[in-house]
Amino acid sequence: MKIVVGIKQVPETTNVKINEKTKNIDRRGISGVINQYDRHALEAAFEIKAKTGAEVIVMTMGPDDFVVSLQEALALGADSAVLLSDRAFAGADTLATGYVLSEAIQKIGDVDLVILGQQSVDADTGQMGPIVAEFLGISQVTYASKIDVDNESLHIKRYLETVEQDITAKLPVLLTVTDQANEPKYVNVVEIAKSFEKPVTTWHASDLNLDDDRVGQAGSPSVVRSISSPEAVVKDNHKLAENPQDAADELVKILKEKNILVEDK
Amino acid sequence: MELLKENWIFAEVDLNKVNPITYQLITKMNQISNLPVTVVLIEGASESLEDDIKEYGPDKIITIKNDQLSQGNDLEMTNALDTLIEKTGRPNSFVFAATVVGRSLAPRLQARLRTGLTADCLDLHFEDDDTLVQTKPSYGDNIMCEIVVPNHRPQMATVRSNVFEAKKFNNPMTKVINITNLKVISDQQLTIASKALPQKSAKSINEASRIVAIGRGDKTEENLINAKRLADKMHAVIGVTRPLTDLEEFDINDQIGQSGQSVSPEILVNLGISGAVQYTAGISNAKTIVSANTDKDAPIFKYSDYYFVGNAEEFSKALEKALQ
Ligand SMILES: Cc1cc2nc3c(=O)[nH]c(=O)nc-3n(C[C@H](O)[C@H](O)[C@H](O)COP(=O)(O)OP(=O)(O)OC[C@H]3O[C@@H](n4cnc5c(N)ncnc54)[C@H](O)[C@@H]3O)c2cc1C
Ligand SMILES: Cc1cc2nc3c(=O)[nH]c(=O)nc-3n(C[C@H](O)[C@H](O)[C@H](O)COP(=O)(O)OP(=O)(O)OC[C@H]3O[C@@H](n4cnc5c(N)ncnc54)[C@H](O)[C@@H]3O)c2cc1C
Repeated sequence: MKIVVGIKQVPETTNVKINEKTKNIDRRGISGVINQYDRHALEAAFEIKAKTGAEVIVMTMGPDDFVVSLQEALALGADSAVLLSDRAFAGADTLATGYVLSEAIQKIGDVDLVILGQQSVDADTGQMGPIVAEFLGISQVTYASKIDVDNESLHIKRYLETVEQDITAKLPVLLTVTDQANEPKYVNVVEIAKSFEKPVTTWHASDLNLDDDRVGQAGSPSVVRSISSPEAVVKDNHKLAENPQDAADELVKILKEKNILVEDK
Repeated sequence: MELLKENWIFAEVDLNKVNPITYQLITKMNQISNLPVTVVLIEGASESLEDDIKEYGPDKIITIKNDQLSQGNDLEMTNALDTLIEKTGRPNSFVFAATVVGRSLAPRLQARLRTGLTADCLDLHFEDDDTLVQTKPSYGDNIMCEIVVPNHRPQMATVRSNVFEAKKFNNPMTKVINITNLKVISDQQLTIASKALPQKSAKSINEASRIVAIGRGDKTEENLINAKRLADKMHAVIGVTRPLTDLEEFDINDQIGQSGQSVSPEILVNLGISGAVQYTAGISNAKTIVSANTDKDAPIFKYSDYYFVGNAEEFSKALEKALQ
């Protein structure tokens, strides 16, 4: 079985500000880490690998420094890594990113299972999984909360707001996983040393069979027109009395004056 | 490419029930749209959920009646919507709920139609009649972006629950179009069994107007009992931070935050919650926020209207008493 895991490198903190000069997100001094959900995607692949001996290929599209995250994924247990890097990919929205990822997966060939995180913690769209599945022409199960494997099929638990689903999926299929799916493991030192012997391949646009109109900014229907830091809602930050009962009495009095918590709902 | 001068809403149905976000989307679209507002509903042949939807007064309801489409198979649903759009022409916009269902189906259809989709919008408005301006948060609600899709149709968006209010509206013009013979290519790869989750609380936290939220600093069994008593007294619903979902009695539906639910109560009481960004991402629409924490520098205080520095259990007991 061949598994591809897509990962994204994201800023270590989501507590970012807008740079007043450039009107862009200020990433100075913020280092990149593997998107948290993608750690769960990797772990899901490793668990399947442990049961079936599957080969795990980790892939990311991004600038060259994303290789740091690929290296970490190799140390965690992936067998090989692919970096998709080209200036032509810059400015891609989800549609253009999904297109490049799906073409790269097709180039790898005979992939049985694609696993992504449920969403990135920076742009937050969660759209990559369904887009890649559509371009590959395979079925998808998103927001997988539990994954078991037997023979050629997967058993998946998935939760909608008021509904629980048990899904059996035949391969090939694409999954996106939640942070409930497993507990990601940490890197151990022996694996770090070994990871430097594992292959990291870089593919540029010219290595893939791409339609120029569908990549980067040109291939992106969505235009981010402006970004801003939301007006912080001004909160009173009123400190209540030190003694708990005094504090509670004070609070109830204020709430009543403000007509909050008066009539029972 | 045939263009259709209509704005569409996908009706989310969870096991034979229309998800209330659908009504919120209809009310909002009715307010902002100069073009006719159409709801697309997919239901079993014997169902008639269009009757419920009608009460919110869209201009049109297209009902695809089909017993073969399995709920949760995004590929089949995409096939159905794509086939429909081939017949009708591409609508100006097509909005979905930013639920698991909407956030899975909409991007697949986006890729099929090769258009733009904005995720998890908090606001929508039209410019020059048909340009949909979409406002969405990123970086866990720390950044807001305005996104447009100038040259592709439909302009697609998923919209977060409970940011718009649903209002019933009697529209005598509502037209219902039943489609019973839509040819849909089925997907043999997935077998899906769905069952309703046991309804634990009478009210879900994303609809609640009063919430008592419990964090790791208030996790002991005794504290939980106290917190529940306070919630009873306040007629509030219990919400939790993620660490509490390790307990048997709480799950993702009770969890507030980025990977849980967004809430918009009149009043939210936080007991023993530190205020991690992933948590506060879910409470930005809470009107009045009260927090109790032993740490005088707890980040949650920044988000609070009123705060108490000290033991959460003592505070919750005292508050219960003060409400007698
Ligand atoms: C502030 C901001 C807002 C944006 N809003 C939108 C928008 O509304 N609509 C839109 O179409 N585009 C949007 N974009 C562009 C979008 O972020 C990029 O296209 C991005 O490359 C992929 O989207 P995502 O991060 O949301 O991924 P998601 O779909 O949230 O990621 C899901 C999973 O896909 C995999 N994955 C994601 N990116 C990569 C990658 N580069 N390489 C390998 N695997 C990956 C990971 O497993 C990840 O967990 C926005 C960008 C920014 C900076
Ligand atoms: C990708 C991702 C998604 C996430 N999504 C979510 C999400 O949706 N929702 C969510 O909640 N979290 C989420 N988290 C986890 C989040 O980062 C925090 O770990 C979590 O919110 C912390 O919960 P807490 O405030 O209950 O616990 P803690 O951070 O441990 O805080 C406990 C607080 O209680 C106080 N305390 C201790 N004892 C007492 C006492 N006796 N009385 C009063 N106060 C006391 C402490 O001072 C402390 O401030 C996510 C994390 C990741 C990485």
